Amino acid sequence: MTAMNVPVQDGAADASLTGDSYRQAARSWLRANLPEDFRGDSAAFTPPKLDQSIAWEAALHRAGLAGITWPSIYGGHGRTLREHLIANQEIGALPIPESVNSIGKELAGPIILAIGTEAQKLRFLPRILDMSNIWCQGFSEPEAGSDLAGLRTRAVREGDVWRINGQKIWTSGAYRAQRCLLLARTGPVEDRHRGLALFAVPLDAVGVRVRTIKSIDGRESFCEVFFDNVEVSQDDALGAPDEGWSAAIRVLAIERATNRMYRAWRFENEVRHLIAAAKTDPVLSGLLQQQHHAAKLAETIVDIDVLKAHVETAVDALVAGETIGARGSLAKLHWSEAHQRFAALAMELLSKASLPLQPAVRIALRRFEGIYLQSRAETIYAGTTEIQLGIIADRILELSRGK
Amino acid sequence: MTITDDGLTPADFAATASRAVAACAGLSVSEQGARLVGDGLLGVIAGDNVGGLDLPLSFAVPVVAAASAGLLAFPLMENILLARLLQQRQARIASAIVAGDNSATIAWTGAVSAKKQGDRVILDGWVARAPRASDVGLMLVRVGATGAALVPISAVTLEDSHGIDLTQPEHTVQLNAVSVSADHLLADGTWPALESDALVLRAAAILGSAEACLALAQEHVSTRRQFGRALSYNQAIRHTLARHKLGLEGIRQSIARALFFSSGLRERRAAFLAASSYGVAISEGAVQMHGGMGFTWDVPVHRHVRRIRALQAQGDASGVLAALGHDTIADVSPAHPQTAA
Ligand SMILES: Cc1cc2nc3c(=O)[nH]c(=O)nc-3n(C[C@H](O)[C@H](O)[C@H](O)COP(=O)(O)OP(=O)(O)OC[C@H]3O[C@@H](n4cnc5c(N)ncnc54)[C@H](O)[C@@H]3O)c2cc1C
Repeated sequence: MTAMNVPVQDGAADASLTGDSYRQAARSWLRANLPEDFRGDSAAFTPPKLDQSIAWEAALHRAGLAGITWPSIYGGHGRTLREHLIANQEIGALPIPESVNSIGKELAGPIILAIGTEAQKLRFLPRILDMSNIWCQGFSEPEAGSDLAGLRTRAVREGDVWRINGQKIWTSGAYRAQRCLLLARTGPVEDRHRGLALFAVPLDAVGVRVRTIKSIDGRESFCEVFFDNVEVSQDDALGAPDEGWSAAIRVLAIERATNRMYRAWRFENEVRHLIAAAKTDPVLSGLLQQQHHAAKLAETIVDIDVLKAHVETAVDALVAGETIGARGSLAKLHWSEAHQRFAALAMELLSKASLPLQPAVRIALRRFEGIYLQSRAETIYAGTTEIQLGIIADRILELSRGK
Repeated sequence: MTITDDGLTPADFAATASRAVAACAGLSVSEQGARLVGDGLLGVIAGDNVGGLDLPLSFAVPVVAAASAGLLAFPLMENILLARLLQQRQARIASAIVAGDNSATIAWTGAVSAKKQGDRVILDGWVARAPRASDVGLMLVRVGATGAALVPISAVTLEDSHGIDLTQPEHTVQLNAVSVSADHLLADGTWPALESDALVLRAAAILGSAEACLALAQEHVSTRRQFGRALSYNQAIRHTLARHKLGLEGIRQSIARALFFSSGLRERRAAFLAASSYGVAISEGAVQMHGGMGFTWDVPVHRHVRRIRALQAQGDASGVLAALGHDTIADVSPAHPQTAA
């Protein structure tokens, strides 16, 4: 079965369900509908094609498992953040491919909800959830990575349009996206944080050119995006011209704490997959009995539980109406490094497998080699490790600059 | 969050506990016990039949953390746990602990054998890591694999205190045909239940010490100047402290999770193990950041380093880690030949 012919059971998690019954509905829908060839732990696994991913994610949304907290007038399900957590726990428990529109759902969407006009909300948000608009994030530039405030892409207003010139890089998924959440400068470079504005740029606009870059794992998923005299309508400008940076920072802080909330549970799914695969191999199952490997796996479990604790207590704080400030940096930093440690452990364990390789070990090798390579990026994107450490030192510890 | 009928939260106890611990400075161990009675801290989780406040375990967390942060000599965690453990079968003793008329410790490692003799039980063997055993009247020891017994300190042979912790020095203890009345022998299963709660409170104790270390380190690097600037100007120092903060919050949130979200044995073990590894890193890192000052007797950081190492050993961190690993592995079935999980 492929995602294209997923028998969609609309309303599987209807609005009246809450708490545990919502969890049960989410769990049974996912188990009934996740195609076998989408499962990273299955012999049938084949990386989903774009149209399959789109169909699957649109189905997830119709089943009540995406756009969970967005208001229903914008296509959302109007549920609580706690239910968002529940859905993510269930999604994480299964080896489901990453979303192809997480920028839309977890970055652009929340920013539009925060600073968009009513017309923009109605125009953009439902299309993110029904997957007719995939978004990418155009923030980083060749000369502005960690130091994002140094970005040079310029937006100049000419009446009702903005004229955009510049270049973005590392733009994940731009080749498959319809819209780019673009951060551009309206004043001189010296203004740094001031005069940065956000735009929803249609990628089919004249003057936009996208070129893919081959990444460490051999895939071509991140891109360079060139803007050559691109005209963007004022209707696609998000927030006031000077609001861009502060809006981005505000939303990024919450997003860092809440995005991909399923991670801890997916991480646990990976550990369980590793153990299950190792148990089919005579040598590996012997190694699992040894204190060393048991202790190493236990360290991973502790890492996972610490991550769950960060996430669950952050949700609790948000639900209680507390501001969580820079707290998301803690979870991001912990998760990215813990996941790299685990990926290295998985590779090390599987490298000792007996020959010929057991089928389950082959499947695990394929999955964990991919995870190992992809995890190299996890300490780089969404703010590198060093940047997160700086944020914690400056904004959480408020360490003196020591003048 | 747990909230009592009176609207009390565990956090409300943090300030009371810190004040009470601060007021204990300069007092003897037994005077400290008596001082803590005033705020009801010894009976925080014990039943009201023994004079306790009958609050959930979460309320003991800030109390134990404050005790550790303030380097309290009195073995508070042990007495809090024992007051509740004994409230049914040894209500008189539990009441005495809550009222400060008697106090107790727990020998966290080793076990003794028990032989019934009429209405007496004869205990034999060695136990160790009993904090402050020479300053209290009673001691709980493990019997066999999962039982426990309460013995008067006067009936056992205490070795002089030894070990690394200066705040609550530990004793190794010999029980040589010690006879106790049969009702001092507690049921099988007592020990694991006690250990399970101790996982959480030990994590809390480490949290208190680690928090104190981070505060000391932060204060030091903000005031000590080298190369014409405060040490905190340097990114290596800032990033190290940021990591310590990450560890500290990891401990805090793991304890909260083990209490409020998923309160199984796995979560309690994870909280203790997180506390144990982050606590060591934070406290030893604080020594490093103090430079030569960190190696002195007078700067209190070493007292926390010692305490955290002692708590780690009392809880057998490496044994708990291996057990968590083995349990996790045993919980997963082998992959199906076609589908791996
Ligand atoms: C897989 C992947 C996907 C991405 N997707 C997107 C996307 O969709 N959209 C987008 O806009 N961007 C994306 N990025 C870009 C990402 O945000 C940047 O790579 C990141 O911000 C770092 O910038 P840089 O690559 O220029 O590295 P640099 O900023 O040049 O950093 C290089 C190294 O120096 C360190 N460093 C930098 N400044 C300091 C400092 N002050 N102190 C100490 N160390 C420092 C960094 O931590 C890093 O280790 C993606 C990156 C990756 C790897």
